[in-house]
Amino acid sequence: MRRYLGTLLLFAVLLLAWEYATTNGYLKPYRFPAPSKIARSLFELMTVGFPKDLTIWVHTKTTIIRILQGYVAALAFAIPLGFLIGAAPTLEKLTNPLIVFGRSIATLSLLPLVIVWFGTGELTKVILIGYGCFWTMISNVIAGVKYVDRTLIAAARTLGVKGLELYWAVILPAALPRMFAGARMSLGVGFMVIVGAEMIGTIEGLGALIMEARTFYRSEVTIIGMLVIGVIGFLISSGLMRLEKILIPWDAGLEDVRR
Amino acid sequence: MSPRLSFADFLLGLVGTLAVLIAWEFAARGGFVDPAIFPSPTLAAQSAATQVSGSDVVAHIGWSLYRIVVGFALGAFAGVVIGIAAGWYPFARFVFGPLIELLRPVPPLAWIPLAIIWFGLGEPSKYFVIFLGAFFPVVTATYRGVSSVDPVLIRAAQTFGLKGIGLLTRVAIPGAAPDLATGIRIGWGLSFGVLVAAELIASERGLGFMIMHARLLGNVDVIVVGIVLIGVLNLLTDAVIAVLIRRWIGRWHEV
Repeated sequence: MRRYLGTLLLFAVLLLAWEYATTNGYLKPYRFPAPSKIARSLFELMTVGFPKDLTIWVHTKTTIIRILQGYVAALAFAIPLGFLIGAAPTLEKLTNPLIVFGRSIATLSLLPLVIVWFGTGELTKVILIGYGCFWTMISNVIAGVKYVDRTLIAAARTLGVKGLELYWAVILPAALPRMFAGARMSLGVGFMVIVGAEMIGTIEGLGALIMEARTFYRSEVTIIGMLVIGVIGFLISSGLMRLEKILIPWDAGLEDVRR
Repeated sequence: MSPRLSFADFLLGLVGTLAVLIAWEFAARGGFVDPAIFPSPTLAAQSAATQVSGSDVVAHIGWSLYRIVVGFALGAFAGVVIGIAAGWYPFARFVFGPLIELLRPVPPLAWIPLAIIWFGLGEPSKYFVIFLGAFFPVVTATYRGVSSVDPVLIRAAQTFGLKGIGLLTRVAIPGAAPDLATGIRIGWGLSFGVLVAAELIASERGLGFMIMHARLLGNVDVIVVGIVLIGVLNLLTDAVIAVLIRRWIGRWHEV
């Protein structure tokens, strides 16, 4: 409790100093809009919207729907494919360089290509998000399946488990923690990519909001948009971590799963 | 981190890659996909070579690498310093901890408008965005590493009379080296990830500019070549960093 009190105090002091510095001209108000101005604009964003009628709720909803579309599509491909590759060592070796390379391609560098193919509409954004999420997810699914503890498999074999049941009852549960961590990481990638994807061809969505705000010299709206993206990202990732603990109680905590 | 590749594994990987490349080549040449929309690797390279000169491409690569190196070096440096401070000194943790927790979930790309407002359209705004890509992974990994060094090591060193800065530089930082290494590699990867977006900011040089400009001209070949180049550069530089890191932390840890 005392720890939080200290943190609160720290933020209060920082905000007050910031407010003081902008209102007294030490900081340029356009570059560092005062906290009070940010608060007023937040209210405006909630009620009137920026641009008009596009409230912060609308932007948030649009962005989340876009992310979810790409994310779900990526998982739908990555999980079965990754399971297959992870379970077949030869296939894994055949595809390994391709997967490493696919992951190394900067998702946003695909932006011009995807625009040429699909225009600047919704599909382009969803594909970019899907691409980014896919490689993070598939490499984690493969690793999860591939690095299942050999002792577990040997023990199950000794107990007479074989065939499909081995995959269903032993390998899948053992791979789940890593898969879940991958799912969490790829959602993070989705949040990263969406901002870039929304820079082009739209005025709806949080990424578009922060860009539009800059062109209209509304830096405080930009800051609000950034914070909202951050808060949503934070809430979702901590929510997923909670969910992970409930759904996979046998997971000892994969804090430092490497990408 | 990755076990050494055997020759057979390498060969299998090569076979898989070649199979995909040949299938792609065949599809583009055989007219299954329109080469103007989805050119094969050789077609793209051939026609890109007629549209941009080699020296231009080298210059673009140079600019992109330069920006990444500058932004990354600043970000990694700041990340290491602040991460060590926050992991070691309670007061620094009190100040930086909440600020970093607050800003970390904001994707680096979301800073672009603010980067332009603060630094204008020139080079510094690009450095800043890349800086952020490197800073957050490095600072969190360093913090975690320094604050979770085995207490037995620390106490043993204290018994031998080490304290203050000596304890930090000779025990805590070497102990945190593996975490630091992970942070640096993730940071390098993210720096590459944000490069293209950073180069969207009123740029007239760099690989990100090259592919965006090619889009305006409807030049799919150049785009494909650019994407592959960025991917290859990312892969190669990451391999170099991995080797350097292995040398550095190999003194203290088994890798």
